Amino acid sequence: MLLQFDRLGWWRWVLVGITAAATIFLLMPIVFIAALSFGSSQWLIFPPPAWTLRWYRELLADPSWLESAWTSLQIACLVTVLSVALGFLTAFGLVRGRFPGRETLKAFFLTPMILPVVILAVALYAFFLRVGLAGTTPGFVIAHLVVALPFSIIAITGALEGFDKSIEDAAVLCGARPIEAVARVTVPAIAHGLFSAAVFSFLASWDEVVLAIFMASPTLQTFPVKIWATLRQDLTPVIAAASTLLMAFTIALMVLAAFARKGRRT
Amino acid sequence: MTSIEAAPIGRRDGRSRPAVSAVRRGRSFRLLLPALVLLVVFFALPVIALLLRSVLEPSPGLQNYAALLGSTTYLRIFLNTFEVSALVTLVSLLIGFPVAWTLAILPRAAAAPVFAILLLSMWTNLLTRTYAWMVLLQRTGLINKTLMGLGLIHEPLPLVNNLVGVTIGMTYIMLPFVVLPLYGVIRKIDPAILQAAALCGATRFQALVRVLLPLVAPGMAAGALMVFVMSLGYFVTPALLGGTANMMLAELIAQFVQSLVNWGMGGAAAFVLLVVTLGLYALQLRLFGATGLGGR
Repeated sequence: MLLQFDRLGWWRWVLVGITAAATIFLLMPIVFIAALSFGSSQWLIFPPPAWTLRWYRELLADPSWLESAWTSLQIACLVTVLSVALGFLTAFGLVRGRFPGRETLKAFFLTPMILPVVILAVALYAFFLRVGLAGTTPGFVIAHLVVALPFSIIAITGALEGFDKSIEDAAVLCGARPIEAVARVTVPAIAHGLFSAAVFSFLASWDEVVLAIFMASPTLQTFPVKIWATLRQDLTPVIAAASTLLMAFTIALMVLAAFARKGRRT
Repeated sequence: MTSIEAAPIGRRDGRSRPAVSAVRRGRSFRLLLPALVLLVVFFALPVIALLLRSVLEPSPGLQNYAALLGSTTYLRIFLNTFEVSALVTLVSLLIGFPVAWTLAILPRAAAAPVFAILLLSMWTNLLTRTYAWMVLLQRTGLINKTLMGLGLIHEPLPLVNNLVGVTIGMTYIMLPFVVLPLYGVIRKIDPAILQAAALCGATRFQALVRVLLPLVAPGMAAGALMVFVMSLGYFVTPALLGGTANMMLAELIAQFVQSLVNWGMGGAAAFVLLVVTLGLYALQLRLFGATGLGGR
């Protein structure tokens, strides 16, 4: 009875009420920021007295915003490519391999996900200061790759486990070299896993804040670091505009990923 | 690849195993090497080096730990970190359980938009969400103005740069991490058990407390532990929504390293956070198996 909506009696309205409130709670900040980014008030008054594109114009007129967006995009793309490639090799080895310590290694590959990012950030920052990678693009890419890789490994491992490897065996029996069989049979079959690995890796890098705060230099910073630095000065609506663009980008990626998943099913 | 091409299709042991197995068995470990090298060089070694600095700088010994645990200021930060995390965990569970329950019993079409919003908020940039709360909660923000407009309060409430702000901002971030696993747990419960309870004469309340809650309890405990562990290490949201009076451990680590350039103390504080996190995570694995993902 408690698990059937119709038979819950008046309780269902309590549950629906809480859920509705929680949904509004989750949605409110997102909608609010998007609305304010088009509002004319510098003091972020809601509802805004008038609508304007002023903050977007200010954002685009400031080269440091564009530069940081470009930096973020470059880093995220590099991280995505490396993360999917390494994730594929690792997942393949983990799923197919039968060697001692496999479970331990698997756990090790996922630890960057559970360790508080601030520890990794501080540790890498110290290391990068020593080897001259602090404030460089390779430094950013490496740092982001460490946190993106587990997402990639999980997505590709999942796809590989769902893939019937006898098809691959059949290809080999038909005369394909193993590497050919993997490239022409396995990779297309797990394309959806590779795609979600790419999306997750991209977002992990694109949205990464804590590592980036430590890695950034005055001349090289990512988009979130630029937001962070601006936030610490004041709550200008330009940040609302930047945030809205960031959200629009994330939503577009999520929709793309959802479509890719649907395309696989039909 | 020569060894593979030469491998016979039928093995002498009688088990027929196609030739690709040769790649799988002998060589698959090599496939892990690139990622392994990356993580050892840029993850394991730097973290170990940082922890070593806590006992080596400025001179070998445990003086950093003594300073950390002997000072009331730092102890207050530890305490505050645990308090905030516990509060966030509690509030997230109180909101998350009814939401997960509703989602599990609502028709799919009605639940879908809520799921979409949960995922959207989960993947929206952390800074963006925190910025939104900074604006919403400020003295002249929407929340205060609405409450004053309704005549409920006469003076703006202090909602930001304090415990209230951090709790709202972090609960907001943690909610999906509670709702999604709990939803999975509730979906797996067989409704027949509750029907049986009703047939045996249980009221709705009795069925909730004596049947449903015990079935969900392990999932709730797992979710609670995960949210608690994630909260302990949070940096961005407490730094922006919290005040100087309620600093959290992650901020302390950042401050030691960035503004005080005290690597010994930074390493010691990082070690404390690491031990607590890994300890609680091991406990979770032990009790509930692998469930959750990490956070920022």
